[in-house]
Amino acid sequence: MSEFERQHPIAAVSRAFGLIRGNFITILIFLFVGAQSDNFPFLWWIGGGFGLLLVLGVANWWRFLYKIEDGTLHIKSGIFVRKDLYLTKDRIQVIDVTSGLLQRMFGLVRLDIQTAGSSSRQAAIDAITKVKAAEVNRMLRQAGAVNTEDSIENQEFEDTPLTEQELLKRIKLPAKELLIAASTSGSFGIALSIIATVFSQIEPLISESELFEYLFGMLPSQTDTIMIITVIAVFVVFAWLLSFFSTLFTYGNFQLDVKEKEIVVSRGIFEKKRITVPFNRIQAIHITEGIIRQPLGYASVHLESAGYGDDKGTGSIVLYPLIRINNLKKLLNDVLPDYQKEFEGTRPPGRSARRYIFRSSFLVTAITGFVYWQMALNVWIWLIPVISLIWGWKKYSDAALGWSDDMFLLRNRRLSRSTAFIKKKRVQDASMIQSPFQKLRDLASVQVFVASGDRGKSFQVRDLEIEDAKKLIHQLRKNGVSTTDSAEDELKSNQPKLPGWN
Amino acid sequence: MSEPAFHKITPRAIRVWQFGNLVGNLFFFAIPAAYAAVFGLNDFHFWIVTSATSIIFIAWMLSIFLMPYLTWKNWRYAINEKEIDLKRGVLFKTRTLIPLSRVQHVDTRQGPLLRWYNLSTVTISTAATTHEIPGLDTQLADRVRRQISTYARLAEDDV
Repeated sequence: MSEFERQHPIAAVSRAFGLIRGNFITILIFLFVGAQSDNFPFLWWIGGGFGLLLVLGVANWWRFLYKIEDGTLHIKSGIFVRKDLYLTKDRIQVIDVTSGLLQRMFGLVRLDIQTAGSSSRQAAIDAITKVKAAEVNRMLRQAGAVNTEDSIENQEFEDTPLTEQELLKRIKLPAKELLIAASTSGSFGIALSIIATVFSQIEPLISESELFEYLFGMLPSQTDTIMIITVIAVFVVFAWLLSFFSTLFTYGNFQLDVKEKEIVVSRGIFEKKRITVPFNRIQAIHITEGIIRQPLGYASVHLESAGYGDDKGTGSIVLYPLIRINNLKKLLNDVLPDYQKEFEGTRPPGRSARRYIFRSSFLVTAITGFVYWQMALNVWIWLIPVISLIWGWKKYSDAALGWSDDMFLLRNRRLSRSTAFIKKKRVQDASMIQSPFQKLRDLASVQVFVASGDRGKSFQVRDLEIEDAKKLIHQLRKNGVSTTDSAEDELKSNQPKLPGWN
Repeated sequence: MSEPAFHKITPRAIRVWQFGNLVGNLFFFAIPAAYAAVFGLNDFHFWIVTSATSIIFIAWMLSIFLMPYLTWKNWRYAINEKEIDLKRGVLFKTRTLIPLSRVQHVDTRQGPLLRWYNLSTVTISTAATTHEIPGLDTQLADRVRRQISTYARLAEDDV
């Protein structure tokens, strides 16, 4: 593979489809508007547009060349402006193999090679045969794991060509868990907003049609309230179905392979995805217990990588979509044996409880009061501030910080409770922030940044005892050196065992 | 390890900030001006425009005469062979610790105003965040940049 090669010609088509999918809503609106006027040369436009996209796709395909030499991936691309991109295997964070429907028809895959820089977004090979993909994968990974912090021990591997790494463990997602994950998926809200957007676009069209009147004629009652409730109910059911099936299709066939030096996550029913993350590229682990999932005793496990991750640029990768809290420790032990799972922790002191409660309820209460006063609403509206009070209390009681010789644990709650496990040597920076009011009460918030995607990801715990916040900074300063002096100096009443799962 | 020695930033930075705020914050007066242009200046609107203008005027004055001084007074930085320690903030006091092994690159930059006063800003980037030490004397900034990059090279480590 030391000669330049082109992708499979299907890349041209898949690129055109990618462009269509990226501008789907625009095209949809365009279609609806176009379909309404008669003298609009409608088909011409569509045909011409698609033809143009195909020409662009073919040109892109023709100008896109790649080769691998001495562990460096060299990509030439660009129709008019030529771009040369070099990726060294030592810098590869994540390798991502996707096969969409189109690619699968021709036995192809899409290969994303992610480094910590966002320019590696362009280092995606759209269509490549499975055999070649495996070869690229192998060539780029051979010594990829060698160049690490423990490179001394691994030096011996450098010359010997590494054979395919041995599979240590394979964990699958049981069907029951998949169904629960789908039905409690958090993308519910997103689905709702998608439906609302689409509906708002097509609403003027269908409200004119007779179908709509017919449908409303079918409904048993004509009062406004019932109609609104029906519409909302239909929306909710649709949104739920949408999120149910999208989760089902995304996480179907889920499989987690643990190898000697890397984790391979494969998932997806229609669009298959295979993500390879070397162990030494894992920046942090965080566990999310959603508001619906937590009472059921379930959580999802994510890892942060410095690659660009998804389209939004966050480097979060789902390590395991849904697991019983009771089995979580076993899973983490299986997959990440070098992460410490239990910590001596500390919680915000009692005096910060009211700050948490005030923060989450102040605005809500003010707005409710104003609305109640202005519009003379039902007394039940006061339930909303009460809920926000409880929510603030929950936030307070969930906030916690834990540490050990080489790790931090940060836990907080927004809507769902999130617990982050971060190795000290993966911390990019740590801050301690104190507002004037916190200063009055000797409190401080801490914030820890890890590398993830384009911008990094921060984890924070608010309103800690100032001494605890200082200790976190101090601990990071020692950075891995064992901390015998500060570990056992105080025994406070609010020193919980973290994370508190069995 | 003992606490590293903290340094203040160059006092000339106050002048730069004062001048920058003097010009830059003029923009905020456009808000009541635009309001007045849309709604006119009759009775009720007059009071909104006047009060908004006076609030903005006070904030503008503070941002010229008080804030630059306080910002300067609260800024501290320390660099040693293991980490960079930044303390800043007038109301919200922030202290940030950046392990040197996490530093991806350092650079100094200089706008026209800073150049006039012979000052530079040192920018420190990690894989996740970017931090600035503003308003250092240009020679000092270069020294700080060299210092950081030397130390960072010593503490070679992966992302």
